[in-house]
Amino acid sequence: MIERHIHFLRVEHPAAAETADGARDRLAAKFSRGALRRMTHLGLLVGSTVDGLAIGLDDTVVYATTYAETRALEDYLTSFPEASPLLFQTSIHPSAVQQVLIGRQQPVRRFFPLTGRRRLVEQALLTALIDPAPQVVLLGGEERGTWMLDHGMASDRAFAFALSLRAEPAGAIGRVAFAPDGADQETGPCPTLPDFAEALAGRREMHWRGAGGGFTLQWS
Amino acid sequence: MSPTVDSLPTGIEACDCLTPFGDATATTGALLAGRRALQMQPVLGAAGGDLVPLALCGSMDETVPPRWLPDLRRLVERIPGDRWGTARRPLIVTSSNFGVGSLYAFTRDRDPRHLRHGPPFACVEMLQREFGWGEQVHVISHACVSAHLGLVQAARLLHAGLADRVLVVTFDFVSPFVAGGFHSLKILNASLPAPYAVRATGSIGLGDGAAFAVLTRATTPLRLEAHALHNEMHHFTGNRPDGAGFDACAAAIAGTARGRRVWVKGHGTGTLEAGRLEAEAYARHLPGAPLVSWKGSLGHTLGSCGLVELALALAGLRAGRLPGTVGGAVPCCTGSVALEAFARDGYDGAILTSNAFGGAHAAMLLAHD
Repeated sequence: MIERHIHFLRVEHPAAAETADGARDRLAAKFSRGALRRMTHLGLLVGSTVDGLAIGLDDTVVYATTYAETRALEDYLTSFPEASPLLFQTSIHPSAVQQVLIGRQQPVRRFFPLTGRRRLVEQALLTALIDPAPQVVLLGGEERGTWMLDHGMASDRAFAFALSLRAEPAGAIGRVAFAPDGADQETGPCPTLPDFAEALAGRREMHWRGAGGGFTLQWS
Repeated sequence: MSPTVDSLPTGIEACDCLTPFGDATATTGALLAGRRALQMQPVLGAAGGDLVPLALCGSMDETVPPRWLPDLRRLVERIPGDRWGTARRPLIVTSSNFGVGSLYAFTRDRDPRHLRHGPPFACVEMLQREFGWGEQVHVISHACVSAHLGLVQAARLLHAGLADRVLVVTFDFVSPFVAGGFHSLKILNASLPAPYAVRATGSIGLGDGAAFAVLTRATTPLRLEAHALHNEMHHFTGNRPDGAGFDACAAAIAGTARGRRVWVKGHGTGTLEAGRLEAEAYARHLPGAPLVSWKGSLGHTLGSCGLVELALALAGLRAGRLPGTVGGAVPCCTGSVALEAFARDGYDGAILTSNAFGGAHAAMLLAHD
């Protein structure tokens, strides 16, 4: 069994109608004015979840998102034939976390940005669980799309979460664990990223099978 | 503290790539002959625009099915083994582009079939169906260090005892979406790249590239001994001007190469500042080690460059000669830059590096006793 203990958790679940400008107003106190101006909705939400959480060079950041900076992507596509350099760089995965850490001028040694959909949550957890860092900061989130959502190519909601995962159980609020048994055939459905965020927000336990073993999310 | 390097030795059971020159053997042969795949072509494909250096496997314009699928199919046919994407044989797919160019195609002609492989998740799920891959697929996208991170993740899974063999597959094919973006940043311009050259204006080229590697815990004659990573988080498209990011990564990986005589395959896209900082860092930490870049011929294969260039390094080692910096020119920013090909004799290791937006650095030690 490999496990890590949850020492910090914050989930952002903004109102369904919140826009990036709305988030900029709501979260303005958490960011420098220079950084705030150019941040995406997802960047703002991710940044809000790690507000007050110390992240150092030796800590590892794992980031999970299926759709990433959808709005920047949508706007970049409509900027052609005069492609926008700002929207191009902002649309590139993993922009949201870079917006936050560049705003903080905080280098990190190991940064694993993951994408995908069906088994994204367990890939992110495995990546965090096998990491040697004293603290692994597991981030995830999405922003709501517009025309890409109409085609099923964007998230229908905005959210973000941050977990600080450490080896020490003392003082932890929960734990994540993976018990490998090599039983490939018994793979079950993996929680989606929105499901996982909701479980975190509601402190709900989760158990599922995948990657040749069993995953557990538990609360103290 | 976490270790500054990931010393996770992995055997390379198989590795190959695809570029406009062909597979790794053909591409390395072309590099040894000093040939350039880059040609001046319109930045937006059929829609025209400025001429920029691109190295393409055919036309850049998006098609349905995607124009890169037949090329990828030919590469995947060369992957040994089967049942990839299962728990003990997971698959790691990396890219910086996936099928994103098709989203731009959709905005032009409104054909919804382009969307089926546009976003990363849709693209990977299409490939899973196409190639019969299972559910255990890790998808990593960290701009131009994506493939390199895939190799790190494979080593971590193997050393955690969670896998017996890991397949890493990477692909990046240029599209008007991507070429237009780099052109807007003014680093893809009317000049061919000359990596590590001292000149008035820097420039890069972009190239199509795909590659795979099968990694194991077994000891093989050619193996990846260690990886070093560093993310500056200083600026989206620039590095710290004091070179601290290059220095951190170079110092860490150089520490793993002590006692070896190494050569360095740098990132070397053709940008001036990053090229100089990289060359100076490796000249400082690995004095006497020749430094080469192959992007002056092949262009920058973006998220796939780390694995494409690993496959070329392996092919060069098999051939007994390592290609020099094709397209480079004097004066160079350091005396360590090797413009000409050189024999592998006398070397027993190589440092291979990649860099990306956000000041991301990745370096690995390839041991070749």
